[in-house]
Amino acid sequence: MKRSKKVVLYAGVCVGLVGLAACNQNESASSEGGGASDGPITMMATLHTPEVPDKKIQNMIEEETGATLDIQWVPGDNYDERLNAAFATGTLPQVVSIQNPDLFIGAIQDDQFWEVGPYLDEYENLSKLKPEILENSKIDGKIYSIYQGRPLSRSGIIYRKDWADNLGLEAPTNIDEVYEMARAFTEDDPDGNGRDDTFGITDRNDMQYGAFKAVASWHGTPNDWGIKDGVITPEFMFDEYMDTLNYIKDIHENGYMNQDFPVTSKTDQQDMFKTGKAGIYIGSMGDVETIYRDAVALNPDVELDVHNYVEGPDGEYGIWSIPGYGSLMMFPKSAVETEDELKKILDFFDKLMDTDTMNTLVWGVEDEHYTVEDGLAKTIAENQQAADREVKPYLSIEIGEAETSGRYEGYSDYPPKTKATELEKDNEQYLIQDASIGLHSDEYIQNGERLQGIIQDATYQYILGQLDEDGFNKAIDNWKNQGGQTIMDEYTESYNELN
Amino acid sequence: MANQVSLEPNQKINLKAARRKERVNKLKKNKLIYLMIAPGILYFLIYKYFPMYGLIIAFQDYKPYLGITGSPWVGFAHFERLFQDPDFWMIFKNTIVLFILQLVIAFPIPIILALMLNEIRHQFYKKSIQTLIYIPHFMSWVVIVSISYVMLTLDGGIINSLLRAMGFGPINFLLSEEWFRPMYILQIIWRESGWGTIIFLAAIAGVDPQLYEAAKIDGASRLRQIWHITLPSIRSVIIILLILKIGDVLELGFEHVYLLLNSSNRAVAEIFDTYVFTAGLQQGQFSYSTAVGFFKGIVGLILVIGANKLAKKYGEEGVY
Repeated sequence: MKRSKKVVLYAGVCVGLVGLAACNQNESASSEGGGASDGPITMMATLHTPEVPDKKIQNMIEEETGATLDIQWVPGDNYDERLNAAFATGTLPQVVSIQNPDLFIGAIQDDQFWEVGPYLDEYENLSKLKPEILENSKIDGKIYSIYQGRPLSRSGIIYRKDWADNLGLEAPTNIDEVYEMARAFTEDDPDGNGRDDTFGITDRNDMQYGAFKAVASWHGTPNDWGIKDGVITPEFMFDEYMDTLNYIKDIHENGYMNQDFPVTSKTDQQDMFKTGKAGIYIGSMGDVETIYRDAVALNPDVELDVHNYVEGPDGEYGIWSIPGYGSLMMFPKSAVETEDELKKILDFFDKLMDTDTMNTLVWGVEDEHYTVEDGLAKTIAENQQAADREVKPYLSIEIGEAETSGRYEGYSDYPPKTKATELEKDNEQYLIQDASIGLHSDEYIQNGERLQGIIQDATYQYILGQLDEDGFNKAIDNWKNQGGQTIMDEYTESYNELN
Repeated sequence: MANQVSLEPNQKINLKAARRKERVNKLKKNKLIYLMIAPGILYFLIYKYFPMYGLIIAFQDYKPYLGITGSPWVGFAHFERLFQDPDFWMIFKNTIVLFILQLVIAFPIPIILALMLNEIRHQFYKKSIQTLIYIPHFMSWVVIVSISYVMLTLDGGIINSLLRAMGFGPINFLLSEEWFRPMYILQIIWRESGWGTIIFLAAIAGVDPQLYEAAKIDGASRLRQIWHITLPSIRSVIIILLILKIGDVLELGFEHVYLLLNSSNRAVAEIFDTYVFTAGLQQGQFSYSTAVGFFKGIVGLILVIGANKLAKKYGEEGVY
């Protein structure tokens, strides 16, 4: 009996070892393939569209840059999983795009990725990347990536202009006027059909890109982390956060917003707006065009407008900001073995960032996918589908932004969309930055997200009236005791070191 | 054993040789049958047993780029962390409560349905009901939870509209602790009971009709027949299915619970699987989540062995 057990164990170990050996062989074989100087550049790109694009644009880019590409498209939903799996099996490609570098900070600190900061100045285009955004992408003070630029703040209000006109309301300029608009849209029959079938704000199960964070910014709440008496402190320990909670709680309690918002999906949220149930959408202003297209199909009289400037109780406007990048291109050392290889890849991205190449990548072929109008790229309407299928996916490997690469900005013949783009620029004067950017906390990486869960639960429960202020404060204590205090200490220490 | 061998070595060796020969002969004789189970054995080796070596990482501080061979060992640190987690007992309790609810409420329903369907004499009627009630089994949890959401939401859901029309206040089904468990169990009954019914109907079909005839002659009523013939005849099937169900004890359906979970019902809805997902995979803590999964597996194993022993004690066959 004993012996047979042993045999099984040995067999198991042998099989295991053989398996591992096989894996290792694969690894060295694949990296050898990638290592040859004339081999293609291997890349894992995020796919945000339902279909993998055909090679048309890729071929054009290869022609313009003189490189060959081997792009592996991975759906955005499970990109992180696939990346982890590639890490575990040693099959990383030469270029990966990472959205949340915190997840890989251990690997970065263990020297698994190339530091690219010192090389960037050698390249004509890459040297133009914005220093403040590169600063935001630094890890322990070093640049490990080239970034894909995104507008710093898209947050604002989309509202039913026709309803507001019916009731004689102007675009809200402070939080009281937003409240009044939500009330009037609920109680004063804005669509004039004589029935009580409308409400004000439609929100969804997303504290960041939904309404919550924008409303918190209006109240003057820090963006995730702020500084209080020299200590890096989370937003929910500021009085402004509690003011925001009370404000939204009041709106919710009075029925001026959808009651089940913590479990409402983005589709359902937008549907309530499109079908004329709700009149205020707080979130990304750029959504106005797609929302309008669907809404006008149901009701030709729909008129929408966008707005950004909403003053808080102290008479000032502020809006939360992302760090300025959508994702970061990083280069694993396991696949990019030598400095020469790295330079070859950087050279490719440098050429990719040329104005013309970038226009091909983002807009496609002129006169086939887009035309140029007033110096802006306008997608040809009849070819919209082809553009969505053939061109749009490549947006996820854009480098820099229009300002740095010189590519065309988009043209829209729907005025509110153009206005939304202008307001995004206007927002840049009022940004609230996350005070923890560039700071480091091990505890945050280990436990940050789980701890944030405690606060998220408490926030929703407070708004729904399932928790009172004492309960909320208990949740904060809970957060502190389970590791939050350590995060604050580590961030503050890191902050004091840098300043 | 060593003594015996030294006493009569020749005999023992002969006996052994004879036995071996017999075994080889048996193998040869039944080689086709052994060949037939080969795919099954391979399946279990490759997909069930071989991956088990991955459990090693529960005792390591696993880093994907270092691999299993390179990651440092940490002993039971991850298990200590799990048992010290302030939410551990809440999660443990939630898992057990949902399991018991499944066993007590959802498990008997297919049996009752099967007994009822069995009494229907009209074949067409019986077959149509049978087909209709097992259709939900083929729907994914996403679909079932979405349908429930549309019906139960406060923002224009049909159930709350009905309640309002009847003069009751709205009920917050989706965002409350009280309604999570009823919702969970009802959805399981809706999706799974039809499927279970078919298995029990098949077992009932195998009951010897002579028994019923004899009972009828003795003047037993329909209910008496069910109680004294049908149920005892399918008892072993019920018990085997029950043990198998217990085997899934902590597999409460990650997808299902995860879809229902939200900020307002977490205190009753967080179970090991969802915890592994949020604390482990989403944050890339592979070792910790493996340790939690390992613990869950051990609890499941203990329950199955216990249930099996109990079944055997009462003269049933059990699953092994």
